[in-house]
Amino acid sequence: MTHSRFDVTRRRFGQLIGAAAVGTLAAPAIIRAQDRTLTVRDPGGPYAQGFKEAFYDPFFEATGIQVTGVQGDHAPTGLIASMVDAGNYTWDGSILSDNAHQVLVAQNYLEPIEVTDAIREVPEQLRTEYLMGTDVVGVILAYRTDTMGEGALTRWADVWDVEGRPGLRALRRSAFDTTEQALLADGVSGDSLYPLDFDRAFAALDRLKDDVAIWWTGGAQTSQLLATGEVDVLPTWNARAQTAIDDGAPVMINWNEALYTFEGWGILRGGPKVDLMQEFVSFCAQGPQQALFTPHLASGPTNPSAYATIPEERAAVLPSNPVFFDNMVKSNAGFWGGVGDEANERFNAWVLS
Amino acid sequence: MASGQKTTWMLTGPAILFLAVFFLVPVSWLLGLSVFDEGSLTAANYQRLADQPLYARLLGITLTIAGWTTLLAVVGGYPVAFLIARTRDWRGILLLLVLLPFWTSFLVRAFSWMVLLGRRGALNQFLEGAGLIDAPLALMFNLTGVLVAMAHAMLPLAVMTMLPVMLNIDRRLLLASQTLGAKPGSVFWRIWFPLSMPGVAAAGILVFVTSLGFFITPALLGSERETVIVQEIIFQIQQLLNWGFAGAIGVLVLVTVLAILAFYNAVFGFAGVAGSARQATSKPLLSAITKPVGNAVLGGLARVTDALYDALAALRLVGRSASAERGPGYPLRLVTALILGFLIVPTLFIVPVSFTEASFLSWPPRGFSLQWFGAVAESAVWQEAALRSVLVALLAASLGLAIGVPAAFALARRSFRGKQVLFALTVAPVVVPNIFIAVGLFYLFSRLGLTSTTVGLALGHAVLAIPYVVVTMMAVVRDYDERLDYAAYTLGANKLRTLVEITLPLIRPGLVSAFMFAFIISFDELTIALFLTGGTMITLPKKMWDDAVLQVSPELAAASVLLMAFMTCVILAAELFRRRAARIKAREP
Repeated sequence: MTHSRFDVTRRRFGQLIGAAAVGTLAAPAIIRAQDRTLTVRDPGGPYAQGFKEAFYDPFFEATGIQVTGVQGDHAPTGLIASMVDAGNYTWDGSILSDNAHQVLVAQNYLEPIEVTDAIREVPEQLRTEYLMGTDVVGVILAYRTDTMGEGALTRWADVWDVEGRPGLRALRRSAFDTTEQALLADGVSGDSLYPLDFDRAFAALDRLKDDVAIWWTGGAQTSQLLATGEVDVLPTWNARAQTAIDDGAPVMINWNEALYTFEGWGILRGGPKVDLMQEFVSFCAQGPQQALFTPHLASGPTNPSAYATIPEERAAVLPSNPVFFDNMVKSNAGFWGGVGDEANERFNAWVLS
Repeated sequence: MASGQKTTWMLTGPAILFLAVFFLVPVSWLLGLSVFDEGSLTAANYQRLADQPLYARLLGITLTIAGWTTLLAVVGGYPVAFLIARTRDWRGILLLLVLLPFWTSFLVRAFSWMVLLGRRGALNQFLEGAGLIDAPLALMFNLTGVLVAMAHAMLPLAVMTMLPVMLNIDRRLLLASQTLGAKPGSVFWRIWFPLSMPGVAAAGILVFVTSLGFFITPALLGSERETVIVQEIIFQIQQLLNWGFAGAIGVLVLVTVLAILAFYNAVFGFAGVAGSARQATSKPLLSAITKPVGNAVLGGLARVTDALYDALAALRLVGRSASAERGPGYPLRLVTALILGFLIVPTLFIVPVSFTEASFLSWPPRGFSLQWFGAVAESAVWQEAALRSVLVALLAASLGLAIGVPAAFALARRSFRGKQVLFALTVAPVVVPNIFIAVGLFYLFSRLGLTSTTVGLALGHAVLAIPYVVVTMMAVVRDYDERLDYAAYTLGANKLRTLVEITLPLIRPGLVSAFMFAFIISFDELTIALFLTGGTMITLPKKMWDDAVLQVSPELAAASVLLMAFMTCVILAAELFRRRAARIKAREP
């Protein structure tokens, strides 16, 4: 083993190990580049149906390029990193959360998105250089109306008001979102939320800790908790609460002070079909196309012109609805990219103390 | 001697080669990342582990949960395995009941426990309705909930590991002891129990190390105080792409497990699991202390049981002349029935829930609807996933047996240098968190073009299956009387014929057990499938997981019910076939 063998970056280290195994598999990639098909990863379920009708099928009709949506792991960063490192592109692009895309950009795994006219219609806070937002996700406060009463909670501070609003509470077992909620409850304004004051957030969480019945870990779990009435109050993603509401559970969503984030298309760096992906991503920025996924998916379109064709009733439950969008606070994934690890370590130690 | 060495190599070679390529290479790549940072060696990741008390705390929680789970599963599994080993007619049915929970996705099981144990869950509803409690009991989101679900998940594993050893116990020893005047309690504690210990030891270790890797059950049913360390590894890999630190945590887990195994070996000896009887006696100092103590304890237990039995006999609750060959008495049957009930409750619970009109798993189910079955039946994806899962599991189990059984023979029978190392290697895949193997394999397979292939997935699952095959088979081979082989040689049979006509038929229960293990492990495996399928190819657990990430709907329950019904039919058919074969054989002159 020579000295130069050690003189490599972390990613190169991985590449070296495998390089000995076989000559690279460049040939299949070249063959694939010639066919006009794309394989993209979406989160499946309602996304799969919604995106098929809004994006995949119409894009094929418009361009003859066939897009296959495959359901992928909910946090696909590890897979994407491995694909790019190995030069083996199972996917050409992927739906990514703002958070996940920050992690991938930091390690140079994504292609920059070519900004077209359609993409310019999407507000700048809903896209980045590497991610074109397709839908807005709300982190809202959901509560049972049978035990709490309708309109009982209108802001994060109400969650902390245990005496005035008795009921079982659940919070997310993660520094993400929970820190923001604690600060907003403590009186920090949405404009001056970032950079987050962790000391103040943990002081606020200290006051509520004994009254948190459950620290939840997954989205499906929150739907179940709400639907069965296991807890009365919890913050969750709006679509998760909506599932319980659609099933007839007496649950209400408070949109005031809700946090929002967005997800969208990212393109895997160096893949054989980057050009086709650019074309596809631009297609997905169009408002009328985005409107087509909303019957299936309780997420908000990023292109405001989509609301022109969405029925009012449906628009009322979509996070990017102008009616309450102005009172929502953007979750800053860029900020978290720098401190997420440390903050979660502190959070995990705190929650166990 | 040279030919003996050659045989050893032939037996162990495939296992060494296979595990080196598909286990050591990918895992050491990941572990390498924990000491490399931007090209230079670094101890930063380990420094962080040492500086932050959090990680020791998480490790402690993980070990506590695994320890309790092991105790519950082995103690609960013992009477079940005992009863199955002692009855001939009901064996197939009982095995079916033990294995039934395996055919429901562990995710669905976790969610059924949520519905059963919740504040407004079925159990609390029942107890409140019966006027037994005033306020709902806290059955979930605490250690109780986690242990109930974990013990439930691990019981079948414990039973299946202990069973082959019990089946191999020579009945004549029991008869002999009775002839010499031993009462049932003495027969059990002084003869049966010591002979079954290798199985108990094997089950203990397998359940313990498997439990260490569980994270979904604690995450869903536990409180923050049941956060296990694997969750942290997954968080580091999936959320932060911090493979270096994830690797360091993995090393911490690995070192802890190895330390525990070494301790276990020092105190009890691996005789039960790895070595032979010869090795057990090679610790004269320790056994000089433990042997009399053990004998005294067992003797005491025997006397207590005998007295109890006499008392029950006096009350005419059990027959006075119950003999070891007449099979187990009522108390044991009752205990076993309760444990089996515990095993199948959440499974049966799925059935009514799958016919609900609601879109959640809830109790009581609302209305009656076949919509969820319709959704599954219409879906080509479910069918493809089911076929793929069966195919992969068959391949993985065959491969696991082909590699693991010879290695088990070598480990149990032959003495060679590096035996302990080989044993450590073959069981290591259980100890290393699956996500490590998964990510490492993905890296390796990307270069071999094996991602998203049936073969690739089967190779990955075989890595996981080998430890179970080896441990199960070693316990069986160790008890196998090698003199039978020598007798065959003396009578002129060559090695192959002896193997086919003497050895293999005699260890058949072990082989069947090992195959089923390997099959089930592959069939229920999610982590490796998540990484190796990449979305274009799908297995059942993967499909269930994908659905569950978005919403745990009764569609999952419906799929589980169909799967259970199918597997029940398969196992019942096999049982009928076996009985008919036995009848035909009996009729032959």
